[in-house]
Amino acid sequence: MTDTTFPQVRIATERLLFPETLERLLNKIFSIKGVRRMILNGPRLPAVVPSGPAKGQPNIHEMRRIIKAGNQDIQLEVHVGTILLELENRESIPALKAACDEVFTNFSYRLQEGRFMKTEPSIVDYAKYGPDADKRILGLTDPSSKSGPIIIQGTK
Amino acid sequence: MAYKPQYFPGSTHIADNRRKQLDPNHKLEKIRDISDKDIVLLMGHRAPGQAYPSSHPPLSEQQEPNCPIRKLVTPTDGAKAGDRIRYIQFTDSMYNAPCHPYIRSYLESYRYRGMDPGTLSGRQIIECRERDLEKYAKELVNSELFDAARTGIRGSTVHGHSLRLDEDGMMFDMMQRRVLDKKTGIVMNVKNQISEPLDAQIKMGKPMDDKWLKAHSTIYHSLVGVGTRDDQELVDYIQRIHSLRVKYGYLPQE
Repeated sequence: MTDTTFPQVRIATERLLFPETLERLLNKIFSIKGVRRMILNGPRLPAVVPSGPAKGQPNIHEMRRIIKAGNQDIQLEVHVGTILLELENRESIPALKAACDEVFTNFSYRLQEGRFMKTEPSIVDYAKYGPDADKRILGLTDPSSKSGPIIIQGTK
Repeated sequence: MAYKPQYFPGSTHIADNRRKQLDPNHKLEKIRDISDKDIVLLMGHRAPGQAYPSSHPPLSEQQEPNCPIRKLVTPTDGAKAGDRIRYIQFTDSMYNAPCHPYIRSYLESYRYRGMDPGTLSGRQIIECRERDLEKYAKELVNSELFDAARTGIRGSTVHGHSLRLDEDGMMFDMMQRRVLDKKTGIVMNVKNQISEPLDAQIKMGKPMDDKWLKAHSTIYHSLVGVGTRDDQELVDYIQRIHSLRVKYGYLPQE
């Protein structure tokens, strides 16, 4: 769960991002001080065909690939269109804006400040994930997922 | 004076496009040439060249009951041969695709025989006898109703019509059945409509530019084109129908 004192930012782009564009943006964001947590949102890209006569066959998709961001390999499982960030303080926001301006040159984007992550676990969270759910990602994604969060070496 | 159908109200170019598409006397412009073989491969119901599997013997070999309706209605080629019922399903992006499900179903009902359109918010399915389907599908895919980037042929996992476009202007497809070749600018189908990889890619042609799409769209969309509220004639018509329906139910008398 997030602490309400930390500012949050949402970056929403006009177009869904190619992995290369996302890689460039993430590398810029990771060099900015004060980013605590981040989630990449977008429509899911399944590894196998989920329904229909071809169910179970591998789904070959250019956007579902591994990108190198920071010092980590990140397996993209969604076609990213929205990025949520939790920051240490508001001082990082101008740098984030500058990073977006540099990367999003062919289409527009919107950087909003607000409250985009859950601050309290709901009863449904408790019922679904139990009392020992990972608090770092509860409210962002499924804490019972086998693939945990990716931890990037900070610049603090 | 003989009755002349008006097809659709409205004073904007969107309404004009709808009227054109709905009018069966308006010949749809042909903008690409996908072969019969490629249409069969795209749908994935049978192998090209394979005989049409049948669900019943041909009508000529059957004893038809003495029915006045059967005497009135001429069966289509597919029905005569006893073909299976098969489908094609289209997804139209809300970002100025040339056609959309509601208009698709209407125009097909005006133009084609022996088919059953299914209309949903993000997809539109046509079910009919296999050989009729191939004929209709070819006409629809080759016509101005279809754009290589904003219109999808998706049998399953259709999600994408209301999502933002990809960076290259393609509509989101979870299965990526179609890719834009960056060198040539041509859209290639790499999977059939049920997401099975194709042995050879099928060229769908270049995507239309934004100017063409805006001019040919039948979708009211206030952010990327003309909003519904900008078409006063259409709003007046909808309000009139709504008012009559509320006041008089199914007995519309003013």
